[in-house]
Formats: sequence, structure tokens, C-alpha cells
Amino acid sequence: MNNTVLTEMQKDALTEIFNIGMGRAAHSLSQMANDEITLTVPSLALASRKEACIVLSKTAGGRVCSVTQQLKGDFTADAILIFPEASSLSIVRLMVGDSYPGNLTEMEEEALTEIGNIILNACFGTLINMLGGEYHISLPTSKLGSCDDILELENKGADEIVMLLYIDFVLKHRTIYGHVAILLEGDSMPNFVKKIQEFLGTYN
Amino acid sequence: MRVLLVDDSALSRMMIRSLLSDKFPDCEIVEVGTGDEALALPASPPFDLITIDINMPGMDSFEAAKLLHEKYPASKMAVITANIQNSIRKKIQSLGIMFIAVIEKPVTEERMEKIIEAL
Repeated sequence: MNNTVLTEMQKDALTEIFNIGMGRAAHSLSQMANDEITLTVPSLALASRKEACIVLSKTAGGRVCSVTQQLKGDFTADAILIFPEASSLSIVRLMVGDSYPGNLTEMEEEALTEIGNIILNACFGTLINMLGGEYHISLPTSKLGSCDDILELENKGADEIVMLLYIDFVLKHRTIYGHVAILLEGDSMPNFVKKIQEFLGTYN
Repeated sequence: MRVLLVDDSALSRMMIRSLLSDKFPDCEIVEVGTGDEALALPASPPFDLITIDINMPGMDSFEAAKLLHEKYPASKMAVITANIQNSIRKKIQSLGIMFIAVIEKPVTEERMEKIIEAL
């Protein structure tokens, strides 16, 4: 992995914008869960799609639940929320409340999509507000599978270079943990870097 | 005016610096990226204002804030953070430091005004 395409300041700006977005997401999530959310410092890497899978599956494990939203505008980016499959019912319980009398499995997809909507929109919203521009955000879609499936390794090619920005979070008392990642494909990188540079230019 | 900015993000320091310099063109701004670096600075001359981020690498930010308050008791202190969870706000309150403001990132002119008004 290398980060040669970005300057130190651009890398710092990207991780800080992501950090602010995740701070907002954690605030919403902590109010819903009545629990403190611990966040790691965001990491940024340029990696092949296969390497990105390895990074994301390291702590989430083999089978994962994911929610993805796509941002389209001056550049295209995917925001992906990933949980280990084993956490999924805990997440449903978090969303519907501990006293929900119905079948939790039936609510699984809806609960995952909604939590993804809250977290991923906070990240994209911050990115859009800070960088400026017109964008469309797709509806969230949930998927169950391996990280290879989630990142569409087979369709898109394992060797394709992507920009991966990710953060780990933990809900302290509910033993739920996961990752939020923003992934940019090669074609989008020059425009994305241009937007970051324009943003930085407003402070110089 | 002498200001110390404690934040691991160069972007955030740049944004705070820019807003402060607009208001106080003659102010002297010292920037550091961690609590440890802040505490390694000389005790004199003191700072009029110290802004500190929560969630920095190295020393725990709450501990760093406490120690900085002990080292510079006359300095006004403000927290500028992306982590706005209620539990974090409670931890900030429990430090026993009279922060002049706790503001959410990103720093904007309007948010910075809260700090400036309290100086």
C-alpha cells in the first residue's frame, strides 16, 4: 500500500473530515443506544481492492453484514458500514428497543438499512458540506456475505487500486463493533483530490 | 494575545488559526499535535487561550486538559471536538475546569465567536 498520490495536508484534511462525520454519526448512535461509542483514529490507504478486503475483514471476520450508499457528483464514492454477522441481531435490538416483542430476524434488513442510513449520511453530509458541490446520495442497500462479496471483488477486479478511508467503532456496553469505510475507485480520485485541494485553498 | 492550539489535525489547526488571525491579526499562535507536546512547552510566557481537541493520539485528552490547566491556571480553555456525544460532554464537565466553550467541529466563524466573546 502507498499514499503517494496525496500530500500530507490532503491526507490530514480527508481523515479529519471523515472524523467529523463519524463524530456526528456517533452522537446520533449514542443517543439511540444510550451507550458511549468509542471511535478509533481514521486510517487512509491506497490499496488494491483485494488488500482493502483484507483490511476490512481483519476484525469483522469472515461473514459480515453491510450497508452501502453511493455518492455521485464531482466524484463517486461508496460509503460502507460493516458489522460481523454475529452482531446483526444486537443491532436490530438496538434499533427496535430491548422490549420489542416481535421476531428480531424479520426486522433485520430494515434495522441494518436504517442504522446505515444514519451513520453513512452523517459521513457524506459532512463531506458535502465541507467540500461543496452538488451530489446525489443513493438509498442504502444491505448485503450479507464475505468482505470479498461486499467489495465486489469478482466483478470489479481484485487488483484495481482504490482509496480506502476507514474507522472502527465500538458500542461499549452492547459489544457491537464495526467499521465505516469510504471507498473511491481510481477514476474518481483525481476529481476528489481536486476538491480537497480547492477546500484547503480557502484557508491559504 | 498568545494562543495554544492542541489538535492532532493540521486541517483543524489551520481552520482555527485562520479564524483567530482574522479577528486578532497580531496574536501569536503556537500549534501542537498532542497533549504530550503541549505539556512539554515552557510554563512561561503563559497562554491567554488554549484550545484542545478530544480524541488525539498519545496522552488521553482529558488528562492532558487537566494537566494543562494545572500548568497554565490563568489561561482560558476551550474544547473543540468532533466527538459531541453526551457522555463526552459529561466527562468534560467532570474535569472541574471552567471551559469558556465546548464547540463542535468543523470550526466556523459563528462557532469561533463563542470562544472570542468569552475571552
